[in-house]
Amino acid sequence: MPESSLSITTSCILSLEMPYSERLCIRRTVYRGGNGPRVAIVAGIHGDELEGLYVCQLLADWLERMARENPAGLTGTVELYPAMNPLGLDTLTRAIPVFDTDLNRNFPGSPSGDLPKRIAHAAIGNLSGAALVIDIHASNIYLREIPQVRINTDFADRLVPLAQRLNLDLIWLHGAMTVLEATVAHSLNSVGTPCLVVEMGVGMRITPDYCRQLMTGILTLWKDLGVLAPDVELPSLNHLPLIADDSNVHYLNAPTSGLFVPVIEHWTDVRKGQLLGNIVSPLQGGILAEVRSPVDGILFTLREYPLVYEGSLMARVMARKGRLA
Amino acid sequence: MSSRDLVLMTAPLREDFTIPCHEIGPAAGNPAVSFVSGLHGDEINGIYILARLADFLTAVEEGAYPKLRLAQRVLIIPAVNVLGANTLRRAWPFDQSDQNRMFPGNQMGETTQRIAYTVLEATKKSAYRVDLHGSNLYFEELPQVRLYDPTPEERETARLFGLPAIMERSVSPVFTTTLMYSWKYWPGQSFLLQVGQAGSIQLPHCQQVFRGLVAFLGRIGVLEGVEVAEADQEALYFTRECSVRIYADRAGMFVSDKTLGGWVSKGQELGYIYDSFNGAVRTRVTAPAAGLLTGIRRQPMLFEGDLLVRICTR
Repeated sequence: MPESSLSITTSCILSLEMPYSERLCIRRTVYRGGNGPRVAIVAGIHGDELEGLYVCQLLADWLERMARENPAGLTGTVELYPAMNPLGLDTLTRAIPVFDTDLNRNFPGSPSGDLPKRIAHAAIGNLSGAALVIDIHASNIYLREIPQVRINTDFADRLVPLAQRLNLDLIWLHGAMTVLEATVAHSLNSVGTPCLVVEMGVGMRITPDYCRQLMTGILTLWKDLGVLAPDVELPSLNHLPLIADDSNVHYLNAPTSGLFVPVIEHWTDVRKGQLLGNIVSPLQGGILAEVRSPVDGILFTLREYPLVYEGSLMARVMARKGRLA
Repeated sequence: MSSRDLVLMTAPLREDFTIPCHEIGPAAGNPAVSFVSGLHGDEINGIYILARLADFLTAVEEGAYPKLRLAQRVLIIPAVNVLGANTLRRAWPFDQSDQNRMFPGNQMGETTQRIAYTVLEATKKSAYRVDLHGSNLYFEELPQVRLYDPTPEERETARLFGLPAIMERSVSPVFTTTLMYSWKYWPGQSFLLQVGQAGSIQLPHCQQVFRGLVAFLGRIGVLEGVEVAEADQEALYFTRECSVRIYADRAGMFVSDKTLGGWVSKGQELGYIYDSFNGAVRTRVTAPAAGLLTGIRRQPMLFEGDLLVRICTR
């Protein structure tokens, strides 16, 4: 391959007959430059999460400009998988329609199983061996999240140094849960392919600022890994992550049912006892319950969908624990 | 009839929300047997069977059957996912979460975690715990006892239901948040019954399981005076290796006139996969081995790789 070429191809990693007439295709675009490392972005595992789709578009746009202006700048290979659950995206459904199953509980999958298992198997087969995979999620329709990386403590040693370069605002370390063993991230990390899980924004929407912020981090990591040439100019990182774990995250669950109306913006510093919102009833005046911060900290999760049942999560506040050195 | 509210919660717009249960029989101590169904709101067979069982045991308590006596208390929750049962939704309708992936639950957590916590607390100390399920909207299951990594005692007790099949399975990672998995941390025996297909009632299956539950209560001594045959039916024990599954080699439309519970021979025709646009036969589906027909797909629209039929071999 000539030194200055950058090829762009879109293809199906899995093509399957559908019940009536059509075929289902899981598509990816591959940007192939030099012989350096291969990296991948995965999005759309949940059909109601769109933030990652826009990140893929921003990266595709950036890479296509590279192909025109500086093809030698791509020294490795980039694979974008924007829609792992295309039927979910087509039907505004989080799970895989018909199968009613969460794709991210079907890994590592199997080549001859049902559709979810086949998608999972095809994904793992293509992603294994990459120098880095980033799986982008967008919370759900209920909660808005600040840009963050979630890391299983089993893999923290390898992943935290990578996550610190991703230009996000939070690294949340969580304990190993058996049920999460069926995720794409766990499957890949278990076979030695590093996979970072990004959560940001809210379901069924895009937050362009978050997407551009993450894009800067992704390009920086790619350059660190040698996927981009050292002389490729990138915007500098402008976000440093805080650290959260079970010890400093406080959950605010609704004490009663009603309409949760926040009185504060998402992602702000709050004081212990500060009013975050009220639960009210559409059937009567007055306030059913006040929602106050249990600690000094940062409001990093805030409910977007206003109806709450008793127990619904309304907010998460993180006490400041400092940053990693 | 003795019923009480297991869970009492406010709701955003309608009246307060409850999960009612039946407690029938002598009041002392923990219930000897706990029956649960309707963790999935669309699994109506289980709801029907347990509601009818509650009616029957209440009649026993009230003296309608002079030869029968409830020696120990029985707890019955016909539907845990009440809102799902009322709106024909499998999941908890408000946030689409699967109630049977919320165990062991959390008293201070999400709504479905609180419900899970309460259901587990009410049932975990019973000597026998039974969770009834109805497959899903797509697949019909022959009434069967499902055992997950069972103890030798559970293997023996499973035969007391008198159902046509007992199937043993291992626990997969996604199973660790189910009611069954949480039960297994407690002393006592736990059983899952699979009955028919979700979304409607298959009356013969329900009648068979109803008789099975009454026989079970008789055989374990909770319901005295039940005349039970030594073996209503020979319970066949199948490990995972005994199951032969037929998967769709093509997408299309699967049509079969077979009913469950019959024995099929190797090579016997079981149904057809048609091209759903032009009607051409794509695959003639035949039995790869002789055995008992224990499961069949009823929702016809197929993707490649969908499970069509399960046959259990001797």
